[in-house]
Amino acid sequence: MPFDVKAMGDETAQREPVEKVIELRLPSRLGYERVAMDTASALARRMGFHTDRVESLKTAIGEAVTNAIEHGNQHDAATKVVVMLTARDAELIVQVADQGRKPLDQECTTRQPQIAERLERDDKGGWGIWLIRELMDEVEFSTAPSGGNQVRMVIHLER
Amino acid sequence: MLEDELTVSTRERDGVAIIDLFGDITTFAEEKINNAYREVTNQGARFVLLNFRQNDYINSAGIAILIGIVTEVSRNEQKLAVSGLSQHFQKIFRMVGLAQYAEIYQDEDEAISRFKRLT
Repeated sequence: MPFDVKAMGDETAQREPVEKVIELRLPSRLGYERVAMDTASALARRMGFHTDRVESLKTAIGEAVTNAIEHGNQHDAATKVVVMLTARDAELIVQVADQGRKPLDQECTTRQPQIAERLERDDKGGWGIWLIRELMDEVEFSTAPSGGNQVRMVIHLER
Repeated sequence: MLEDELTVSTRERDGVAIIDLFGDITTFAEEKINNAYREVTNQGARFVLLNFRQNDYINSAGIAILIGIVTEVSRNEQKLAVSGLSQHFQKIFRMVGLAQYAEIYQDEDEAISRFKRLT
C-alpha cells in the first residue's frame, strides 16, 4: 500500500489504534539513524522480541534510514526522513520514507552483492539493502505518488 | 554529537599488531581505520588483529571499510583476524563473507593464542 511523508501518518493512524503507532521525523543528517535504531530497539524489547531479533531490527532500520538520508534526500537539510513504527500483537512494522530528491533504482533493491567481486573494485559498498532483506521477515520497496522512496519492513514476534 | 563515535589506537602484542576500535564503525570511521592500518603496515606488521570493543553499531558503510582493509591485507601478504565482535556482528560478518578472509575470535586472548598458529 502506498504511503508518503505527508500522508503516511494519517493513513496509518486510521488503520491502527493510535497508541500503537510511533512517528519520528528525523533530520537528513547522518547519525540521526541512531535515534530511529534506539527507539525501535526500545519498542521491540517491550514487545518481547529476543535480543538477536532486536539487533537485526536495529541493523535493518539503521540501513533504511541511512539510505533515506544519503540517497533519497541527498543530505538535503531541508528534508526529513519519516519513520513509523507500528506495534501489532505478533509483529512490528517499520516504514521509512524520504522525500525523493533522488529516486531509488528498483533494480538495486534485489541485488545480491558478492564479496569476491567487491574486493576487486574501488566501491566496496552496496550491502545495505541486501542486509535489510536478509534480516527482516517482509520487505517491500515502493515509490510514493509524490516521488519519495519508501520501504516497509516487518519483523515477526516468535513466542 | 551523533557523528564521530570512534576511537582507534594501535599496539603490539606477541608479534601481532592490534588495532583497537572503540565505538561506531560507520562512514565516519574510514580515515581513522585506514590510518591505523597504514601505521601498523609501515611498521612491518604481518599479523593484524582488528579488536572490536564496545561496538554496538557497525553499518554497511563500516563493512565496506573493512572489505577495503581485506583488500590491502591481501595485497600486502598479511594475515587478518577480528576479535571482540558481538554475536550479532559475528553473524553479519559471516553473512557478508568477511569470515572467509579474516578469522573471527571471541576475544583478544583467544586471537593471540590461535591466530599465529594458522601459518
